[in-house]
Amino acid sequence: MIVDTGQIALALALIASVYAAAASILGVSRRSTELLVSGRFALYSVLPLLLVSTGALIYAFVTNDFSVQYVAENSNLAMPQAYTWVAFYAGNAGSMLYIAVVFSLMAVIAVVGIRKALPYTSPYATGIMALVLAFLLGVMVFLANPLARLAIVPSDGQGINPLLVHFGMFIHPPLQMAGLVSVAIPFSIAIGALLANRGGNDEWVDQGRLWGMISWVILTVGLMLGSWWAYTILGWGGYWAWDPVENSALMPWLAMTAFVHSIMVQKRRGMFRMWNMIIVIVGFTMAQMGMFINRGGPVPSVHSFAQSTMGWLFLAFMVVTLVASVAVFIWKSDTLRSRGRLESALSRESVFLAQNALFLTVAFVTLWGTIFPIFSEAANDTVVTVGQPFFNRVNGPMLLLIVLLMGVGPLLPWRRATVSHALRLVRVPLAGGLATGVVLLAVGVTRPVALVAFMTCGLVITGILYEWLRGTLARHRGGEEYPIAFVRLLSANRPRYGGYVVHLAIIMLATGAIASSFYSVQRDFAMRAGDSANVGDYNFTFIGTRHATFPDRQEDYARFEVFKGDSYLGIMEALRAEYPAFRIASTQGAIHSTPIEDFYIVPSEFDREGPAIFRVLINPMVWWMWASGPVLVLGTLFALSPRRRTAPAVAPARTGAGTVRA
Amino acid sequence: MGAVRSALNIVCLLALLALVAALATACLTASDRGVPDIERRATALNKSIMCPVCPGESIDQSQNSLAIQMRAIVREKIDEGWTDQQIRDFLVERYGPSVLMEPPASGFNLAAWIVPPVAFTLAIAALLLTLKWMRMSAEAERRLEEEEAVGNQQDYVSRIEDALGFEDTAERGSGQQGEGRSGGTRQT
Repeated sequence: MIVDTGQIALALALIASVYAAAASILGVSRRSTELLVSGRFALYSVLPLLLVSTGALIYAFVTNDFSVQYVAENSNLAMPQAYTWVAFYAGNAGSMLYIAVVFSLMAVIAVVGIRKALPYTSPYATGIMALVLAFLLGVMVFLANPLARLAIVPSDGQGINPLLVHFGMFIHPPLQMAGLVSVAIPFSIAIGALLANRGGNDEWVDQGRLWGMISWVILTVGLMLGSWWAYTILGWGGYWAWDPVENSALMPWLAMTAFVHSIMVQKRRGMFRMWNMIIVIVGFTMAQMGMFINRGGPVPSVHSFAQSTMGWLFLAFMVVTLVASVAVFIWKSDTLRSRGRLESALSRESVFLAQNALFLTVAFVTLWGTIFPIFSEAANDTVVTVGQPFFNRVNGPMLLLIVLLMGVGPLLPWRRATVSHALRLVRVPLAGGLATGVVLLAVGVTRPVALVAFMTCGLVITGILYEWLRGTLARHRGGEEYPIAFVRLLSANRPRYGGYVVHLAIIMLATGAIASSFYSVQRDFAMRAGDSANVGDYNFTFIGTRHATFPDRQEDYARFEVFKGDSYLGIMEALRAEYPAFRIASTQGAIHSTPIEDFYIVPSEFDREGPAIFRVLINPMVWWMWASGPVLVLGTLFALSPRRRTAPAVAPARTGAGTVRA
Repeated sequence: MGAVRSALNIVCLLALLALVAALATACLTASDRGVPDIERRATALNKSIMCPVCPGESIDQSQNSLAIQMRAIVREKIDEGWTDQQIRDFLVERYGPSVLMEPPASGFNLAAWIVPPVAFTLAIAALLLTLKWMRMSAEAERRLEEEEAVGNQQDYVSRIEDALGFEDTAERGSGQQGEGRSGGTRQT
């Protein structure tokens, strides 16, 4: 009964979204306010309808209703009760429903936000969002219905991939999917403005930037949680492998990172109007590419959780939206003339453009490496692998260059700088970078690539901290106490100082990545209970195993007593679990994590008799990578937070420059 | 005041450098940690070889039994004194070219390696050309506007003179003035 209601709600949601698209488009061409209003409310109505469908699916999971095909395929009686509430997005059809719900929620919020602020753009944007929703819902209703019934009801379901039954599963995939689909919102707003002939006045920029940053931060957190999950749960000691699905999630992130920067140029200087349109189109295309590769794409990957033949449908939709948006762009491109002019190649605008070019090149090269095996197979019938070493080698230098620009760009003024002025601005950061290098050399860090990379990070940090110090001192001279001066400095220009905080987070991330990729060590040990071994000054004793039996799995814990030097670090337990029904074994490393380094034990092989094999890793500074996540989110929120209306009188009077409509 | 400020700057810089030094000595300089060279070599080699049955994972990373076997092969061959290249060739012969994590830089697969640097070069070239073009068009626009402004001014002057009724002198005067002005702007 409830499932049937959900089915009906799903079908109604499809009808409503198709109507919303049609009414918005017709409403504009016939200048009919009634049609536009009805279209908007049709879009609003999709959200409650989809919530009903989702509720029905969750209900079917919680009550173990195996007459629903999707439940029978993705759940079983052994699944822990708590997980049945959230397991609905673990498979193909259910994750589609999840994506549709999240997107409809964002679309409703976005339309409510732009309805008044962008009256001309709003109907077009509504129509585009409704079309995206209609596509998702159409696929679900006709091809992958999560609520479809089975003719013969099985007594138990098949269960889901045990690797997904984990806390990490309930954060990373949903955030990642939400991030990918959220790119459609800034895309709709931008293309909507273009269609409304409003691309040339910058009224859409605030909303576009807001949604671009929301989308960016969701993508970022999704990627970081994915790495964190892989590192702590999947138990192989690494966090990023340049796997096709990782790449396909990284590409839209790269494009959106470019977008949130270049949109600032349009906001402040009225330039890059065409360029921003191109980037948002690229971003949306890459986000769809991500969904395509994840859903039965052509390249093998470890992320085959939502495999299906539907991938090609996503590819087709991607091609259609790409062609359509490029056509709109060409058709309307004469409305996108710049207001501002590039006054000098030595200005913040130019660095933004250089940064954009680099980000898009990294995205392109990543795409190239990801799909190259297809070309190679077609060309000479041999399958090749394009894996981690390739990407490290081709993307590493470009990413380092981007970090360098991150240090230089924000220091340069808008419009123009003379060479001597620019040199004066980068003098202190440059000294900081060089000093970092000298100090590192002095203490014995000698690998050239790592050294250059650390020096670049040192340059960026010095630049940011020096700016803060200088600003605070200047305010202090104006009579403010140091803490107040610092807080007021930051809140006087939130997009700028929020951006600095995000940059600091990126440096934390980069430092962790550089340190752990150049200075991590690993060693395999065959040990019997009672054996001791040491790596560096870590000394550990394998004290034995502990066994636990569950309905769906066998768990074995290897227990270690660990010392670092003379200090006792405690008992560490590494887990290995076998799932007989799936013939899958999963391992979970034991990690002792500190800001200096992680001591990490992976159980490679162990049964209850004979020696067990363990891999021990020491990964320096990985802690900083995970710590950067909260910093990054806070920085983004700060950059987006609206300024109080009664700004302190000392704030520079640049009206409109620092304010964001929330 | 200036002395205080630069002293503060130096203190901050030194504090930062001390932090860098402390972190680096704590985790980066003790980098060999007693791991024998031969094991380092095996790890590096394992990381460059793909596990044939576990998509996307190197044999270093995978816990699959085939990966474990292949790790043993690599270790055995290293102990027998084979070079890295010999071991890779041996594995390619056994499992096909896809067993390498990087495409070989030969034949069609050379394209995989050539395209990234070409893309980078093109991007930089496009960037420089765009910047140059934007500068030039900005310059041209500025000049056009200046000329327009001069034109407007001439027009304005002659209209005032018309209105004041200096018909005879107006022609001469405005002509002279106009020439003088436009000549002047050309020089600047």
